[in-house]
Amino acid sequence: MIKITDLEKYYKTEELQTIALNKLSFEVKKGEFVAIMGPSGCGKSTLLNILGMLDDSDGGSFIFNGEEVIHYNERKRANIRKHNIGFVFQSFNLIDQLTVFENVELPLIYIGVKKAERKKKVYEVLEKMQIMHRRKHFPQQLSGGQQQRVAVARAVVNNPKLILADEPTGNLDSSNGNEVMDLLTELNKQGTTIIMVTHSEHDAKFSHRIIRMLDGQKVIENSLI
Amino acid sequence: MFRNYFKIAWRNLLKNKVYSFINISGLAVGMAATIMIGLWITDELNYNNHFKKKDVIAQVYQSQAINGDVGTGPAIPRPLEFILREEYADNFKHIVMSSWEHPRYLKYGETNIYTKGNAMQEGGPEMLDLKIIEGVKDGLKEKNSIMLSKTSAKTLFGSDAAVGKIIKVNNLDDLIVTAVYNDIPENNSFNEMDYLIPWKYYVTKQPWLENAIDHWGNNSFQMFVQINENTTMEAVTSKIIDVKKNASVDEAEFNPQIFLFPMQDWYLRSDFENGVQSGGRIENVWLFGIIGLFILLLACINFINLSTARSEKRATEVGIRKSIGSQRGQLIFQFLSESFLIVILSFVFAIGIVLLFLNGFNNLASKVIVFPWTNIQFWLVALVFIIVTAFLSGSYPAIYLSSFNPVAVLKGAFNAGRYSSLPRKILVVTQFTVSIALIIGTLVVMNQIQFSKDRPVGYDKEGLIQIPVMSNEFIGKAEVMRTQFIASGGAIEMATTSSPTTNVWSNRSGYTWEGKPVGFQEDLAYTNVSYEFVKTLGAKIIQGRGFSRDFPSDSLGVILNKTAVEYMGIKDPIGKYIRDADTDVENREPPLKIIGVIDDIIMQSPYSPVKQSMYAFDNVGTASFYNLRLNPEKSTAKNLEIIKNVFKKNFPDTPFDFQFVDEEYGRKFSSEERIASLARVFTALAIFISCLGLFGLASFVAEQRTKEIGVRKVLGASISQLWLLLSKDFITLVVIALLIASPFAYYIMGQWLQKFSYRVSVGWDVFAIACFGALIITLITVSFQAIKAAIVNPIKSLRTE
Repeated sequence: MIKITDLEKYYKTEELQTIALNKLSFEVKKGEFVAIMGPSGCGKSTLLNILGMLDDSDGGSFIFNGEEVIHYNERKRANIRKHNIGFVFQSFNLIDQLTVFENVELPLIYIGVKKAERKKKVYEVLEKMQIMHRRKHFPQQLSGGQQQRVAVARAVVNNPKLILADEPTGNLDSSNGNEVMDLLTELNKQGTTIIMVTHSEHDAKFSHRIIRMLDGQKVIENSLI
Repeated sequence: MFRNYFKIAWRNLLKNKVYSFINISGLAVGMAATIMIGLWITDELNYNNHFKKKDVIAQVYQSQAINGDVGTGPAIPRPLEFILREEYADNFKHIVMSSWEHPRYLKYGETNIYTKGNAMQEGGPEMLDLKIIEGVKDGLKEKNSIMLSKTSAKTLFGSDAAVGKIIKVNNLDDLIVTAVYNDIPENNSFNEMDYLIPWKYYVTKQPWLENAIDHWGNNSFQMFVQINENTTMEAVTSKIIDVKKNASVDEAEFNPQIFLFPMQDWYLRSDFENGVQSGGRIENVWLFGIIGLFILLLACINFINLSTARSEKRATEVGIRKSIGSQRGQLIFQFLSESFLIVILSFVFAIGIVLLFLNGFNNLASKVIVFPWTNIQFWLVALVFIIVTAFLSGSYPAIYLSSFNPVAVLKGAFNAGRYSSLPRKILVVTQFTVSIALIIGTLVVMNQIQFSKDRPVGYDKEGLIQIPVMSNEFIGKAEVMRTQFIASGGAIEMATTSSPTTNVWSNRSGYTWEGKPVGFQEDLAYTNVSYEFVKTLGAKIIQGRGFSRDFPSDSLGVILNKTAVEYMGIKDPIGKYIRDADTDVENREPPLKIIGVIDDIIMQSPYSPVKQSMYAFDNVGTASFYNLRLNPEKSTAKNLEIIKNVFKKNFPDTPFDFQFVDEEYGRKFSSEERIASLARVFTALAIFISCLGLFGLASFVAEQRTKEIGVRKVLGASISQLWLLLSKDFITLVVIALLIASPFAYYIMGQWLQKFSYRVSVGWDVFAIACFGALIITLITVSFQAIKAAIVNPIKSLRTE
């Protein structure tokens, strides 16, 4: 599903250039659950942003679903993103002015799903995430765990082929964290590919494979299955 | 999608009430001002729209050069009519000679009204498309007929039929009502024309009118024409331009040029400079149009500034939407939808504000504008207005906000950049540049009016009234009336004049005098006055004396004003003669002996130099006004009561009509005062809107720097130091605005003042007041937020971080 080869990313300031990704290469197959680990600043989040097509790389190749996407413009990338990729962030990133229902509904609006269909899909996913009863609440009225469940619901509502999760349990206590990890595992079992950046060895154990990074490079890869 | 956008926009409005208030109220006030100015401009541009044929109607104008100065005006000589009818008839559908609009007494039974009207030739009513509601359109055919406006017919006859009734005009002639026409609405020429009498009746009323029939030098009449459809104004003008020059050898030396002045231009483009059309009220239309746009721009700037300043708060949302798959275009569309929502809300409030203040605005602008509820065109323009305003205010924020990099903003590393506040600063400077320029402009206009008001008028206009006596029944009664008025104790002196003290109705030339330069073409304001003219007015004698009953020869005397003596170049004028230069000895008028010179008195524009004037003794009884000096020992009301009684005793059937001379004089300032009042209001609005924006920005900056303020306080900063810290940036911006606005306003107002010969100079005081005012207003606006932020307990502000 994803194949990156010699991926590079630099951050330049007036005085120095920092290498975030240093000729990184790996592959993720459809239906895999991959955890990416490494110390702060090793390039995990940068990688995730490039995989999510939110950021550009400075070199290398990135093949998504058999298509080379590295030179795609913003419009094309947004198009691939909205149909194929769901995001789960450490800080939930829900829109404060929208209710739970409306937050989850948002990706469906962007891909042009009709209103009745949207309602049906959102209800289904809210039921699945067990937050149906909170659908009319605003994010700030929810606990951290509930907010992350809404974020996961939003990420999966349009059945993305890939979920990119950036420290999904980072802001949660262990019980809520486990719940979120169970949700991701369940989604993976249903066929969704998941790439998760994490600091937590505990969370990484839910994945099939751990890619460990240091200074923008892959240093080791452990298979857990 | 739209619903989603509006939902977010609506919730944002409710959540950030202060910002919403600033945005909506600023935009609403700006839009209201723009709508009002728009309505005013429409009203101005629609002047004379009542006349369906306004494209083909013109007034015949004349330019003449006197000593090289070309003067242009509507006064034309009578013989012009005959030449146009005989030689150029195929160019015209109508040629209509007309008198000036003139008040007359109209009496039916016990009802006697004193109202204005014209004498016109038969084609007038048809040319003007008068809507006849009773009688016939050709109601001026018979010499003894009169056509009445609906209002005057109603006043005279109530609900009875008017046609066929006989009314007495000026208590002298009986005229039969032949028609009643609908009043001509306000905002149109002839709107005060309450009656029409036949030209052929009018020209027989005075010998001079009859004599004018072949007198090319007597420019005392008006002519209106309707051109044929197969020609143009320019084509006709090119044919008739030299008719007067070719017809009269005497007049040719003034190079008279006859031309058509289209009705389209009567109201808005009526100024002429050296014979060339040079604008007029249209300049005010432009001026206020620009002010309206500027006010709207100021309100839009508030929106832009507050939206971009608060972008940090929207950054996460942008990041999330982008990560979910929103394209930049969709985000731009979303933010534009928000600005649409706000603009639509503001427009609704703006309409409310317009409705609330339209009456006041009408009073201020001397208009009768009605809100155009049912005018589809207005609503279409309003729609365009909303769209333009939404784009003007929403485009930049939409483009700016949608440009955020999702990776950065979601990481929480939002950094607007070092120069991100630069556009905001430029916009604030723009706002204050406009506001300060408006302050300076308004101050200059007000100074100019005051300067002209303070100008010595050359006589005592307080306690002086004038009674119009322009009908035959007053002829020969002046002496008796003077005696009675003085004996009654209501007045201490009286003099008659042939024109009001506040105007010149007659200009003369064709004189010669000792030392007159060869080829000099004189143009003198001419007024006939009675014995006590100087005394009644309180004019100042510089040389010689006023007219006196002790000198029988004064009946052929003349008084000059100071300017006339200089203009004519007469040395030691007293005792010298001004002679009629007519080559025909038999027609020559007797010479006039100069008996006195008075200081200049302002009869015409208070902004122009006083015209060279002669005041000749009235020995034929052509008085048009009784000028009465009220008794200073009694109250004005008492004096008027006494004077009215004396008047009524002598003229029981004539309405007592009078004007205070000081009020008449005051009317000379009405046009400029109106501009000043409007300018004051719009300047206040501009300042209000700018301050509103500044207030919003100040509160934003205070909020943004809460932590910094807390740290500084902990480290020992005083409240005044913090106040200075938060205020100085804004003060700097206003100072920059001052530096830009001052030279700009100096130049523009200098140009504006050029149109007044008697004008104030733009002094440093104006800039000092504007500068001081702008800084004080800024400080007050900004300090509220700055002090509020500075007095917060630092522990609290640090904890909230």
